[in-house]
Amino acid sequence: MNDGSMLPLIELRAVSKSYRKGGERIDAIAGIDLVVEERGMVAIVGPSGSGKSTLMHLVGAMDRPTSGEIGVGGHMVNRLSPRELTQFRRRTVGFVFQMFNLVPNLTALENVALPMEFNGVARAERADRASSLLGQFGLGQRLRHLPRELSGGEMQRVAIARAVANAPRLILADEPTGNLDSRSGQMIYELLQQISRERTVMVVTHAQDLANLANRVIHIRDGRLQDRPPSVAALRRGQESAPAQPSS
Amino acid sequence: MIRLGLRNVPRNKARLMLIAFLIGIPVFLLLSLRSVDEAVERQTTVLTRDVNTVLQLRAKGSMGHVNMIGQDRLLPADVPEKVARIENVVQVESYLLAMAPITPPNFVMHVGLAPSAVKRLESHGEAGNPRIIAGRDLTPEDAGQDVAIIGKGYAAWAAIEPKDVGKATLAIDPSRTHPAIYGMNRPQRNLRIVGIYASGYVFGDLQLFVPIDTFRSIYGTDRRVSWVFVRVDSVDNVATVAQRLHDTVGGVADILVPKQAAVFTATTSRTVLRLTFLGGLLAIVLMIIVVFFVVLMQVRERAREIGTLKAIGASNGGVVVQFLTEAVALALLGGAFGLVVFRFLGDAVTRHLFALGIGPFLPSHYRPLFASLSVGSEISASVLLIVMSVAVVAAIIGSSYGVWQLIKISPLEAVKHE
Repeated sequence: MNDGSMLPLIELRAVSKSYRKGGERIDAIAGIDLVVEERGMVAIVGPSGSGKSTLMHLVGAMDRPTSGEIGVGGHMVNRLSPRELTQFRRRTVGFVFQMFNLVPNLTALENVALPMEFNGVARAERADRASSLLGQFGLGQRLRHLPRELSGGEMQRVAIARAVANAPRLILADEPTGNLDSRSGQMIYELLQQISRERTVMVVTHAQDLANLANRVIHIRDGRLQDRPPSVAALRRGQESAPAQPSS
Repeated sequence: MIRLGLRNVPRNKARLMLIAFLIGIPVFLLLSLRSVDEAVERQTTVLTRDVNTVLQLRAKGSMGHVNMIGQDRLLPADVPEKVARIENVVQVESYLLAMAPITPPNFVMHVGLAPSAVKRLESHGEAGNPRIIAGRDLTPEDAGQDVAIIGKGYAAWAAIEPKDVGKATLAIDPSRTHPAIYGMNRPQRNLRIVGIYASGYVFGDLQLFVPIDTFRSIYGTDRRVSWVFVRVDSVDNVATVAQRLHDTVGGVADILVPKQAAVFTATTSRTVLRLTFLGGLLAIVLMIIVVFFVVLMQVRERAREIGTLKAIGASNGGVVVQFLTEAVALALLGGAFGLVVFRFLGDAVTRHLFALGIGPFLPSHYRPLFASLSVGSEISASVLLIVMSVAVVAAIIGSSYGVWQLIKISPLEAVKHE
């Protein structure tokens, strides 16, 4: 898994994640095998507590699996050192959180520029890129605004711009519309769909509308992937909404 | 990350003010103690110079007696000149003494000396130059003039009030007698009082300082003197000079080498240094404690933000630099607050601090020195350097536990509250 361009972007083999709660062992993820190709939107859906967020956190190297192998963009994520994990988070993934998680005392522009600063991008270049991204996302007039001066939809667009700032191959979005009204949610759907044309967007959602936009929907229940037929919307678009594929 | 840390400082202005206050108070305490330390060192230096290095010569066999004119127990006229030629002697001051009867408390002391000489008080002459409370001190221009400065007690007996200074005169009558005082067949002379001093001692305030030429003219004395004070250039040379004095004038003079002052200097300096060191240490510990709780609170409050920063690519080192920058900036702001308070309240508070904290450890007859203690509240470059250094050190030590906690925060904290 050294040459990411010739291989699937994400590959999980027998990945499990369990933890103890009050002396009881809970299997959040139980032996998942999964392959996700480069580009397109993948929706992970399932009931609360099914393990969909845990799966996303494992793919994004925010958490380590109890067992199994996770490969993302040519990196064996579960084997990376702390320093390599930091590099991985800087260059390979971008996160979009349900609560936006913007730094409250930084402007929209500064929030978007922050990952680039971590990645060693020169000040002028990161300002240009951040400004350009916010312009593309319809926030050209809000560059100097602090998060508290923005609406929920605007904050999430800033968060998405921040997630793509370093041009990562994978965007992970955890309930990105969970805190938004339907109109703002719709804008976020469109934005994520637009982004997924150039990179892979993996989104955890309860929103059926968003799942319907996905190229692929992965169903998860009790920490295990479920086979489900393609969504009607996906069929209508002539696209395949495939169930989870076991790795080859 | 340094920039981000600095941006975080004013996030909560009310809290920022509270933190600046909490850090500023120990800084103020630290600066006040340092000021006391410096003041005591200055005072000790003065005492060392004025007392530790000053030897007194009296006529041979006259110890225990006041060497007054009219008696035989005076030093020969050539003693000051011989003494002045001795190596390491930097100043020679001659005193002439005469007692005068009053009722009560029986007698006062008239002292003839060079107008610019140190005005030493009988029995309590260590510090010298008592505070002038009205008018002025004697000046070199007063040499040979019929002027004097008078102690507060003597002035009260003579009904001379501060408002009368410069106009009031005091009649000196050498012919008046007393069981212990020789009457001299000399005419009365009126001296204009140009200043009143206060020493804090009853007997010290019953003296009159007169230019020595005027004194000789009043009492009709020759060039002999009662006492000679010899100042040596350094404490290290006192013993050598004492030996040379013995060799030179030992046949006619007893030589008093200061010992009490040396003991005082050593004990006081040690005590003060020890107390100010402990106080300074306490102040730094207080700063560290404040920084400790502030950083810990910030790390706990901002766990989600820290997790987010790590999730979007911040390294542990970067986040540590951010929080350390913030802690140092807060400590420096607190230091600046402490400096401002010190600038305006330092002098008054330090005096009280000194009197309350250090006073009890000093010999009782040195306590009146508190009033003359010159405590500096100037903000010099060294003060700034001290505050900045202490703030940085306190910030780094105080935030170490908080930093350890933030290193352990996982990027998962970013989503824990969702």
